[in-house]
Amino acid sequence: MSATTAGTPIDLSDTPRVPFSRLARVELRKMLDTRSGFWLLLVTGILLVIAAGLVLLVVALNDDVGPSAYDWSQILVIPLSLLLPVFAILTVTSEWSQRSGLVTFSLEPNRLRVLGAKLAAVVALAFAIVILATVLGAVGNVVGAAIGGYDAEWNFGPRLLVTSIVVQVLYFLMAFGLGTVILNTPGAVAIFYVVALILPLIVYGILYSIFDWARQTIPWIDLQYGTAPFFDQDLDLSGVDVARGIVVVLLWIVAPLTVGAMRVSSSEPK
Amino acid sequence: MRDAVAVRQGGRMITVERLTRKYGAFTAVDDVSFVAQPGRVTGFLGPNGAGKTTTMRVMVGLTPATSGRVTIGGHLYKDIPNPGRHVGVLLDASAQHAGRTGREILTLGAQTMGLPATRVDEMLELVSLSQTESKRRLRNYSLGMKQRLGIAHALLGDPSVLILDEPANGLDPAGIRWMRGLLKSYADRGGTVLLSSHLLNEVELIADEMILIGHGRIVAQGNKEQLLAGVDHKVTNVTALDNEALTRSLQAKGFTVTPAGTGLRVEAAPVDVGRAAAENAIVLTDLRSADGGLEDLFLELTSDTQRDDLTEGARA
Repeated sequence: MSATTAGTPIDLSDTPRVPFSRLARVELRKMLDTRSGFWLLLVTGILLVIAAGLVLLVVALNDDVGPSAYDWSQILVIPLSLLLPVFAILTVTSEWSQRSGLVTFSLEPNRLRVLGAKLAAVVALAFAIVILATVLGAVGNVVGAAIGGYDAEWNFGPRLLVTSIVVQVLYFLMAFGLGTVILNTPGAVAIFYVVALILPLIVYGILYSIFDWARQTIPWIDLQYGTAPFFDQDLDLSGVDVARGIVVVLLWIVAPLTVGAMRVSSSEPK
Repeated sequence: MRDAVAVRQGGRMITVERLTRKYGAFTAVDDVSFVAQPGRVTGFLGPNGAGKTTTMRVMVGLTPATSGRVTIGGHLYKDIPNPGRHVGVLLDASAQHAGRTGREILTLGAQTMGLPATRVDEMLELVSLSQTESKRRLRNYSLGMKQRLGIAHALLGDPSVLILDEPANGLDPAGIRWMRGLLKSYADRGGTVLLSSHLLNEVELIADEMILIGHGRIVAQGNKEQLLAGVDHKVTNVTALDNEALTRSLQAKGFTVTPAGTGLRVEAAPVDVGRAAAENAIVLTDLRSADGGLEDLFLELTSDTQRDDLTEGARA
């Protein structure tokens, strides 16, 4: 930072740089202060309530149905994973598609700091939402047991809790990473849904149940199949299970984030 | 304007040094050098696509330079911590999330810069956006309102330098006059203003110093007098109390005179017409050069064909 000989120096000694915590707080606010942010949250909230309500209804109408805490968590995760990763995509892509990056990157020229702040905001949001769903699931479990007249089954150990939180956060990070690589809202959203929902549900599910080679291959390339063994509380994880977990995280989180960080640093927000 | 206290008139606040930006074979900015001084409004003038925006984008680090550099207050923009507190930037008033309210956009800026929330209201008042307007979403703003909001955003951090790309675009005549006053008084307090425009009249009225750019190159720079010094005035519009007497005396000197409106159009410089009138004791009520002045110069300098041979004469 050398002052040019004939320059009129601006004295920078009194100006600290923008603290990271402040950047992250602003980025969190930016995820929620738009109409799209508001509706995403609202619709997710409604879906969550509907899902919980449906389970309770089934419990009330059927004597032989008694969902455990694990069942509850599996059900309530669906509305969360459906829409909320879009937040993680939008926080990056909207800087380009809404062109607000011009201002964002003028106020903090170090783009990797901005990206880090967005990442922190996304992780914070993901945590908050998963914890909310866990609490809701616990309440549902108690209420369901009361309605159905059975004893609530608390088969939701610490390992399961940690795994489900981590995997939810991983999906958010995958969405975030795809956003940084593609830098375009519709493109990133479409690709995320294909990779995270459609392929595992429709394509992989069928292949997995039919072909032996699919059972060998898919856990290496899909986040859901690759992390599935970690949810099994009774299973002792094998080396292969751990290796598959690491590979899918490298493939869908580390690689996109690395490429995306380079994209964000070099791309010119117009 | 904390920084402005230390600023002397005549210093260099923004220094562009041999800046070049190429996109493949296309050179958007070609070896551009100029300075913007504190206490002055510097107009950056050129037709669309001349390289104004690219130069400004390089200034604030959004576009990397191919070669050369820009310093602000002696620093590269990327080295300025919390740059919003030193340099106010408005590159495109529409480049904001359309779903945010004006107030929210300013609040985000104020929070990033670490400013109190009261600053948002101060700025809204400064640019005459009402409380109701500030709660509307940006997609419902007119271009003029977006410009006001953008200027408010640029001024949020009480910077000592303002970099504004086409700030008068979309403002109504009253709005343009308002902005002129705002920027003038900002410069009078010691601030540095660099503003771009493709409209000469706009810049002519406000800028102390003008940089003319065409096809990525600086074609002329200086204040109005310096720019016009090299231009020959060969046609004059004149009106006298006795137009006929003036016509006779001019024709006697060999100048071609044709009636034009209530006056005459003479193929001679204003000084020659004035001299003829004085020699014959003819009272003139109006005398001015019929050349477009800066406008003609601007068009000549920035047109493709004539630019190079006309440049030298006009260089300050």
